[in-house]
Amino acid sequence: MNLVLGARVPVARRNILADRRRLVTGVFGVGAAIALIFLLQSLWGGFQVQLGSYAKNVGAQVFVGDLGTRTSWESSVVPLAAIDQIRAIPGVERADPIFLRSTILTLHARKVFAALVGYEPGALGGPWRISAGHGVQTAGEVVIDRTLARQHDIGLGDALEVQGARFRVVGLSDGTRTWMSAYVFVSREAAAGLYKTSGTASFILVETTQPAAVSARIAREVALTPLEVRELVRNDRKLIAAIMQGPIELMVLIAFAAGTLIVALTVYSQVVERVREYGIVKALGAGWKRLFAIVLGQTLVLAALGLIAGFGLSKAGGWLVIWLRPQFWLSLSGTQALQVVGAAAAMALLAAVVPTRRIARLDPASVYRG
Amino acid sequence: MAAPIGRRNLFAERRRALLGIAGVATALLLVLALNGIFAGVMRQVTKVIDESPADVLVAQAGVRNMHMVYSVIPAESVERVRAMPDVAWAEPLLYDLDAVVGHNGERQNSYVFGYVPGRRGGPSRLIAGAAPGPEEIVLDRLGAQRIGARVGSSIEVFGARWRVSGLTDGLTNITNTVSYVRLEDFARVRQTAGVVSYVLVGARAAPGALARRISTATGLSALTRAEFSAQERRAVQDMSTDLMRIMTVAAFAIGLAVVALTLYASTLSRLREVGVMKAIGARSGLLGRVVISQAVWTVGAALSLAVPLTFGLGWVVERASGSISLAVEPGSVVTAAVAAAALGALGALVPLIKVSRVDPATVFRRAS
Repeated sequence: MNLVLGARVPVARRNILADRRRLVTGVFGVGAAIALIFLLQSLWGGFQVQLGSYAKNVGAQVFVGDLGTRTSWESSVVPLAAIDQIRAIPGVERADPIFLRSTILTLHARKVFAALVGYEPGALGGPWRISAGHGVQTAGEVVIDRTLARQHDIGLGDALEVQGARFRVVGLSDGTRTWMSAYVFVSREAAAGLYKTSGTASFILVETTQPAAVSARIAREVALTPLEVRELVRNDRKLIAAIMQGPIELMVLIAFAAGTLIVALTVYSQVVERVREYGIVKALGAGWKRLFAIVLGQTLVLAALGLIAGFGLSKAGGWLVIWLRPQFWLSLSGTQALQVVGAAAAMALLAAVVPTRRIARLDPASVYRG
Repeated sequence: MAAPIGRRNLFAERRRALLGIAGVATALLLVLALNGIFAGVMRQVTKVIDESPADVLVAQAGVRNMHMVYSVIPAESVERVRAMPDVAWAEPLLYDLDAVVGHNGERQNSYVFGYVPGRRGGPSRLIAGAAPGPEEIVLDRLGAQRIGARVGSSIEVFGARWRVSGLTDGLTNITNTVSYVRLEDFARVRQTAGVVSYVLVGARAAPGALARRISTATGLSALTRAEFSAQERRAVQDMSTDLMRIMTVAAFAIGLAVVALTLYASTLSRLREVGVMKAIGARSGLLGRVVISQAVWTVGAALSLAVPLTFGLGWVVERASGSISLAVEPGSVVTAAVAAAALGALGALVPLIKVSRVDPATVFRRAS
């Protein structure tokens, strides 16, 4: 006669909690893997937010670039003559030109990638929040991001070399940084001088309460490409995703594999040490479903604790990252968080396979032999 | 001869040992893959410079590389440099970043170069078609493939339409592809009359000395090809260093946990034997060596597994993506080995403490 193991005996929980030191090491290991996944997702999310910060905050609703322009990373050249045409369109409240070019600054022997914005003082295109000093007023002045200034000990009144020319720092802006670049603001006149151009700009920024209608009129009446902010940000994100998402996903996949192996290793070690007890459970009539449930229960407990530890570790790691490198922003959406929870559950499920196979092969008679 | 107790203990439960080794190998794979992707990007981003025929590259003052930067110098600089002693040849190059767009709307970021066909500065070799004629463009094979273009196709760049006249190869990387048009077409559509981006210079004397002379005489930035390439690498490196560090620390933490788990589990399962060894006179040093030999075996086997795995992963990724190249360099293997050794040493700490605390009497108690 088969004896039925009381369903209420929390075997899984008792087994996994039996050796605290191993449990802590296992939880730390799974936590580290999950923290890496959380951190990667948060960094990616933060980067996505940063990518849209200029377009969303600069005060324009439509960016007008040259024909075919889709992103702010492409070099767009528009004639200044188009500004009057755009200003004449009904619904356009304001239209101002900007220069937008990527450049490399050398600060403390380190290359810093920057987006150089040349704007008309007092017009659209400049920094939207200044924490110290003021906006650019003359051609020899520059406004840089506050966090970049702090990292490189640059203060108001200091000199900064941009494209071989010296500028005086007159303001520090906020929210104008991404993890790989910083916005640097100069006057449009200065930017035109640096790039030896006249009569052109990179984009014309348009302020309007009717972005869709105004965009349609610009597309029809001016031989340029209008991009609503939403569309521009989406295109920018898509472009960067095409470059970076592959490597990030690869890292997430490896971290997932590592986490699964750690769960499997912890539970397997526990199974090996209590193999006699599992033999007794089998001898008492427990079927493979019950055995799998016991193992899965353990892997789930470990994955759940690892998830909590991983979340905590990623929070602590994130805090440390932001403290050390303020250019990094972290942002985790509900969907991303759910994906990590799903990943932890998948780890538990996959990790249960090897220990279950070990128990499945166990001969109950071996218990009595020993 | 001493019995290899550490190895025997570790492999007594093979599956557990393999899980441990696989876990550490995965953590090392994370580090190696990360470094490999980075090294691959490094090799790719400088390829267009490394393959340039120029001994010296002249750019706007303050500009020392090409990636994500824009250089503008007066067109007369070309003649000025050409007239200098020890200059074998000097050719203008226009450069900008834009997207090449296929007829189906597919886009690919591209470095676009304007050069004078028949002179230096164009593609080093063509695998199909010919150099660009008026309103024609040479694309890189992979870049062309991504936007569905071939020789004879019509594509869009700089807001103008171009006919693909030829294809070059090996210049598409994770961030962008490379395209070539005629200098005059570039200047016309970009409205850049009277300026060039770079001057490529062939040297009759030592390039370093010539670069310094050009810089002094013109006030422009002049670097040898090797220096320019190093600056390009540096720019990309400095952009990514912080992110790399974060991921490496996380990978290290994962590896540490796996090593500690593996060693702890195998030590725990052999505690009685440790007690026996202590009871018959084994000293702490010997028992410590047993644990350390397990650590060496675990991380050594993991490293031997991680390196070929990284090569395999590189092969798969390269075929799947076409533009992500994963280069395993000896330096990064050494780094991973050092990290693995550190992981082993740290991971062995807890088991060492456990072993040192084992009371030999427990053996007899449990036996009775």
